[in-house]
Amino acid sequence: MAAVLSARDLPGVWPAHALATPSAAAYATGFAALDAELPGGGWPEAGLVELLLPAQAPHRWLVLLPALAARLRQHSGPLVLIGAPSLLGPQAPALEPFSPALAAQGVPAHRLLCINATSAAQRLWACEQALRCADTVAVVAWLPQREGAVQPAALRRLHVGAVDYGKPLFVLRSALAQQASTPAPLRLEVVAESDSAPGLQVRILKRRGPPLRNTLALRSPLPRLDALLQTRPGAAGSGEVAHALVGAVPA
Amino acid sequence: MHWLALYLPETIAAADRQAWRVRALHLTPRVALVDEALVLEVSASLRLWGGADRLLQQLLGSNWHLAGVRYAQAATYLIAIALLRLQRLGLPPPQPCPQQLPLSVLGAAQPHLGVLARVGCTTWGELRALPRAGVARRFGTPLLEALDAAHGERPETCTWLTLPEDFDLRLELPALATSAPELMWTAQRLLSALQAWLRARQRGVLAIELEWALDLKRLDGVLLPPTQQLTLRTAEPTQTTDHLRRLVGEHLARAALAAPANALRLRTLETAPWAGASTSLLPQDLRKGEKLHELVERLSVRLGAEQVRWPQTLADHRPEHRQRWVNARDAQGQSVASLVGSQDALLPTWLLREPLPLRVVQGQPYFQGPLHTLTSPQRIEGGWWDTTAAEGTVLRDYFVARSAQSGLLWIYRERGHAGSTGAAGDTTDSTERWFLHGAYA
Repeated sequence: MAAVLSARDLPGVWPAHALATPSAAAYATGFAALDAELPGGGWPEAGLVELLLPAQAPHRWLVLLPALAARLRQHSGPLVLIGAPSLLGPQAPALEPFSPALAAQGVPAHRLLCINATSAAQRLWACEQALRCADTVAVVAWLPQREGAVQPAALRRLHVGAVDYGKPLFVLRSALAQQASTPAPLRLEVVAESDSAPGLQVRILKRRGPPLRNTLALRSPLPRLDALLQTRPGAAGSGEVAHALVGAVPA
Repeated sequence: MHWLALYLPETIAAADRQAWRVRALHLTPRVALVDEALVLEVSASLRLWGGADRLLQQLLGSNWHLAGVRYAQAATYLIAIALLRLQRLGLPPPQPCPQQLPLSVLGAAQPHLGVLARVGCTTWGELRALPRAGVARRFGTPLLEALDAAHGERPETCTWLTLPEDFDLRLELPALATSAPELMWTAQRLLSALQAWLRARQRGVLAIELEWALDLKRLDGVLLPPTQQLTLRTAEPTQTTDHLRRLVGEHLARAALAAPANALRLRTLETAPWAGASTSLLPQDLRKGEKLHELVERLSVRLGAEQVRWPQTLADHRPEHRQRWVNARDAQGQSVASLVGSQDALLPTWLLREPLPLRVVQGQPYFQGPLHTLTSPQRIEGGWWDTTAAEGTVLRDYFVARSAQSGLLWIYRERGHAGSTGAAGDTTDSTERWFLHGAYA
């Protein structure tokens, strides 16, 4: 028994019923419900986090935005976005980050370095280069949805690089990659919206701690948009122009 | 005083001689060309380089012996050159050194060697023992002055070499290069020489040009230019060539040679005074990694300059004109605070580059299924002032709509220029066009 207790003090060893104490510091995600379920109480300060997004909606990265905005306020340097999601399958034009909206959510345009790269190899290479730079605050990369496009070995390399350089790296992949193994110590899935369960929901697929079965429903970080959506247009008459409506929304 | 004399054989090309000079100037500022030798006065730099042996190692590098390079060291450069000449004749250095040196290795004694031999005077010591007045009358003062200088009784004068204002060095390739990456080996040698030049001149490089000479005048009936060039720029002056080396590597991996190349030339286009790198003792300043401009430049070379961009927020009502993309390489250090309007929190974080026309079924837009509008329209009218814009005046009603699969989308209904004045009856008009313009995260 004494041997077991002493083993607990080793790094990387934690009791099966509790969350691990991470070796690196963590910072708050901006969602209290999510913080409570992550080792260290937030996103890891250094290392790879894999976020699986619904195949139909690969642009739903809202869960990252509050934490990235907070990090940009605390540190100087740019946030690097590598690749971009495309809404309509591979042939469609990719989406572009819309800087006024991002600036309103705390990601100023002049601190957003966007890197377009088409192939998976180029994106992985760009990730590695961005991690090496001393000035970058965080790296967010969309990896292609195609199966087998990204080898676990490549992700492991990125994870090691991220830990080495002390940078958070978020890799955003399609939920189709759920079956493949991952070297990331933390893997989350954004659950696709449905009529019965709207809003932002996240499932933790892998963490250093006991498995979590239930889905976490997170409070939206965009109160003004929610307020706008709750003002149903049917009653007011569809012809009404938005100026009046928007003016009535509480800030 | 500690002098080194260096003999570079005739077989060494002019460009390599220049490289030797640059390397010597990197080690000490006092370098001169005297007769056939390159002489260096190193007494002030010995401590910096860790002693004479280390300094010699730095100067000579490896394989110097095979190239026929010889060196000698002594207290004055005349003695060093004399020892060097003896060494080339295959003779051992005599003991005691300056007295027993033969007169045939003293430059100033060359015209009088025959007369001196006939009076029985063959060594430096014997010449010095002769009465000075007689020697001066018979052989002239330069011989006496040279002898005094060799013994350190008179200051030695020589014209110090200085480096040219611009670095320009051309090297022959060891073999014909048929592809651009094969130039890398020679490019590295050139960059090493450039680094030595930069250190000696206390400058940092901002732009360089790499030029290779083509071996063929015409290929497949097409006249070829004699050379091809590659220009590299970096945002901040640098003395360490690591970053330049990576940039050259990336460029060469992409470049195509029009014909086999036989020589490579490197010259500086722009340099700036080197202020030195300032370091900090504060732990938060000691972050590991390279600088941002190095990252941007490397990414721009491999992926293309227009693929690495910053957004710039503009003041406009039309969403597609709210932001502009600028290449990160051209806009470094320009940090413009974003313009944030009060309504921007309601905008989607993703925008389609081109609005996507939507299918309309019975007045309802379709995108991966029917879209249900959730909000009242937000009317945007603008652009009449912009005569260059292709679309002209923009008349749109924006809605937030929910799609079953893709979440919240930002769509708009285009209003005609005439007729549709926003009356409630317009929504059922079958000719109206819907577009998808953005997506909420």
